[in-house]
Amino acid sequence: MHFKWLLPAGAAFAAAFGAASAFADGGTLKIGRDQDSNTLDPIFTIENADIWVLNNMNAKLVEVNEDMTGVAPDLAKSWDISEDKTTYTFHLREGLKFSDGSALTASDVEFSLERLRDEKESVLRSMFQVMEDVKAPDEHTVVIELEHPSAPFLSALAVFSASILPEDVVKERGDDFGTNPVGAGAFKFKTWERGNRIVLEKNPHYHKDGQPKVDEVQWLVEANDNTRILKLQAGEIDAAIFIPFSRVEGLQNDPNVQVHLDPSSREDHVLINHEHPPLDNVKVRRALYHAIDREGIIDAVLFGHGTVATSFVPKGQMFHNPDTPTYDYDPDKARQLLDEAGVEDLTLEIITAAGNETQQQTAVLLQNMLKQVGIELNIVKQEPGQTWDTIVQGEYDLSLNYWTNDIIDPDQKATFSVYGENDAKSYYTRYHNPEVAKLVEKGRTVLDAEKRRDIYYKIQEMAKKDVHWIDLYYSPFRNASHQYVENFHQTPMGRFTLEMTEINK
Amino acid sequence: MHRFKFVLYRPIQLLPVLIGVSIVTFILVQLIPGDPARILLGAKATPEAIAEVREKFGLDQPLVLQYVHFMKNLLQGELGRSIIYRAPVLSVVEQRVAPTLFLLIYGVVLSVLLAVPLALAAAWRAGSSVDQAVRVFSTAGIGLPAFWLGIMLMLLFSIELRLFPVSGYGEGALSHLHHLFLPALTISIALAPVLVRNLRATLLAQLESDYVSAERAKGLPERAIYLGHVFRNSLIPTVNLLGVNVSWLIGGTVVIESVYSVPGLGQLMVSSIFGRDYLVVQAVTLMFAIGVILVNFFVDIVTVALDPRVEM
Repeated sequence: MHFKWLLPAGAAFAAAFGAASAFADGGTLKIGRDQDSNTLDPIFTIENADIWVLNNMNAKLVEVNEDMTGVAPDLAKSWDISEDKTTYTFHLREGLKFSDGSALTASDVEFSLERLRDEKESVLRSMFQVMEDVKAPDEHTVVIELEHPSAPFLSALAVFSASILPEDVVKERGDDFGTNPVGAGAFKFKTWERGNRIVLEKNPHYHKDGQPKVDEVQWLVEANDNTRILKLQAGEIDAAIFIPFSRVEGLQNDPNVQVHLDPSSREDHVLINHEHPPLDNVKVRRALYHAIDREGIIDAVLFGHGTVATSFVPKGQMFHNPDTPTYDYDPDKARQLLDEAGVEDLTLEIITAAGNETQQQTAVLLQNMLKQVGIELNIVKQEPGQTWDTIVQGEYDLSLNYWTNDIIDPDQKATFSVYGENDAKSYYTRYHNPEVAKLVEKGRTVLDAEKRRDIYYKIQEMAKKDVHWIDLYYSPFRNASHQYVENFHQTPMGRFTLEMTEINK
Repeated sequence: MHRFKFVLYRPIQLLPVLIGVSIVTFILVQLIPGDPARILLGAKATPEAIAEVREKFGLDQPLVLQYVHFMKNLLQGELGRSIIYRAPVLSVVEQRVAPTLFLLIYGVVLSVLLAVPLALAAAWRAGSSVDQAVRVFSTAGIGLPAFWLGIMLMLLFSIELRLFPVSGYGEGALSHLHHLFLPALTISIALAPVLVRNLRATLLAQLESDYVSAERAKGLPERAIYLGHVFRNSLIPTVNLLGVNVSWLIGGTVVIESVYSVPGLGQLMVSSIFGRDYLVVQAVTLMFAIGVILVNFFVDIVTVALDPRVEM
């Protein structure tokens, strides 16, 4: 025990600082995460590290409802849609205020939505080009005219980017709004020490009574996975997010900690470059599918915490088709398909992001599995920032990738991933099936829910038949909190419902 | 005091060094493949949005022009805007300087406090059991990787003994001392052995010197010879070695800062390189360069002060 000399010094420190924390009723919820936010201006980001903080600071006209089948009122208490489905009239709640106490009126809504649509750097602006006109005829009414009927429009309004911001504050702070924001959500922005923490406090003007429950939320940056978990176990933080799969079971055995494996919309897949022969041959693509033991990957890489993906629309999401064609693990079948396609001695390259453990492990497993059917797979590790360029430019055969939904409607992902007639080139796979593309276009304008469902079922079936990419698995969020934290929950869209979270020490 | 006149002209000599560092960093960062705009906006952004970001941050211009622009801004005290954080580079960097500085100084002070008594004890009776123990410590300390040692120290001091926080920076100077104790200890467990070995060897060599025999012959007490003369004469190589190692530590804070979640420059450097945030990388590199230069400058002053014969 040669560290004994430290005890008095440490105890003195502990006495000096341990007792200093005296907080009010609701308490402070400290959440450790792996990275800091970049900007808190909702239109300029697509990073989860930003979105997950923004979600608790901002309010939108509508929000995703609890069972994720549609939208529910948020700032708008109700809305009417015209006969021809192109005019939406929203009625705002009375007495709405931003977190700085200023009034939230229809003109703020008009300003926020126009900014989202028109700012050139606005990341999701393409989703909102359908808005022809936004008007505020009076303080409590917003009228949006659409170019044409749009089925996904209402769910698009529930996306984080469509947050309603105070016009005068945004204009006054300009580029600095992203570091010093104001919103109308459950929490109010307090401070941001970069690389250290973001502090949010209870918004006294929040429009939902009795929410939030805690007085303060702190998002702390604890980049190292081990440190983050130790900090949780030591009781220095109340919750930790992004628990590595390898640590889930160990934490489940800790009596002080609860592990939350909330379902997500995340789907991991292997992108296939359809322009690189022989990958343009559907038989070869199907052979790849049959050669891959996806259960094996889930067991080895995710420690069993995932399910085999069957469609690009994830299970639990709107219009997920449970009956798409299946490609069972069957190396014989794979070899036979390769024979039929006349392919011999095939060598492929797979792009992975260096430093991403999950991807490296998956790639090594794929390498072994493909070897069984006579395909040589070379693993190309690229620095993560470089992988985008490679994929966008199509300089790859295969690539490991994933997607998480921003809106509940499948239109966004379908347009990006299988449409093939826009800049995204079917997530840069260069997959293009004119029939699928036509259906994607139709899916946007048909408003009848049942007909839409049939359209998306068909899209999923056809894309799967064509093997536009290889669906690997769906995986849950991995968060952990102390037992005394109640209702620490993340919705499949990634939103932490912190306004409901309570601390019962 | 003309021996100290280098204090005046040394800063002028440093200017070319800084310019050189800025050019090399500028080119190196730009050479890394990967488009900052694409990394920033991700797969879901339109080519239009990407072009807009490139234009706004001047990334569409030739490299030479970008550098000229950067230098022009720098001379006006402007570091530009960070592409990732959408905020002035200065505001991003300035919050990060204090934690790194605090940690470095703390680590160095702890190292010296640890190294000097150990080396003195070891060299007092070379080959004794104390000497052996110190040598085992120094060999082990050098070999332990910081990321592993960090986790072990947390397990012991934070989880088992509950004396120090697992990680973080705290608020107020005393709280910083408390929070940064483990990271500083991690630094000193790596740094102290280097100093111990060097100081011990120098002490032993000095003990063989003629002046020591002369002093012994005069009947000076052994303790007075050891602490008053031998120790002082042995310090110069160790101070210089410390200088070199602090320069190395400035770069090495990256690992320690991320293990202990210290919101310092090292962590910022890593995230900025991943995000190709050229201007932030530039700014942090310049800070590091200035830091290294200042440390060397300081070592020179101490050396001159310690030994009347040295001139710079």
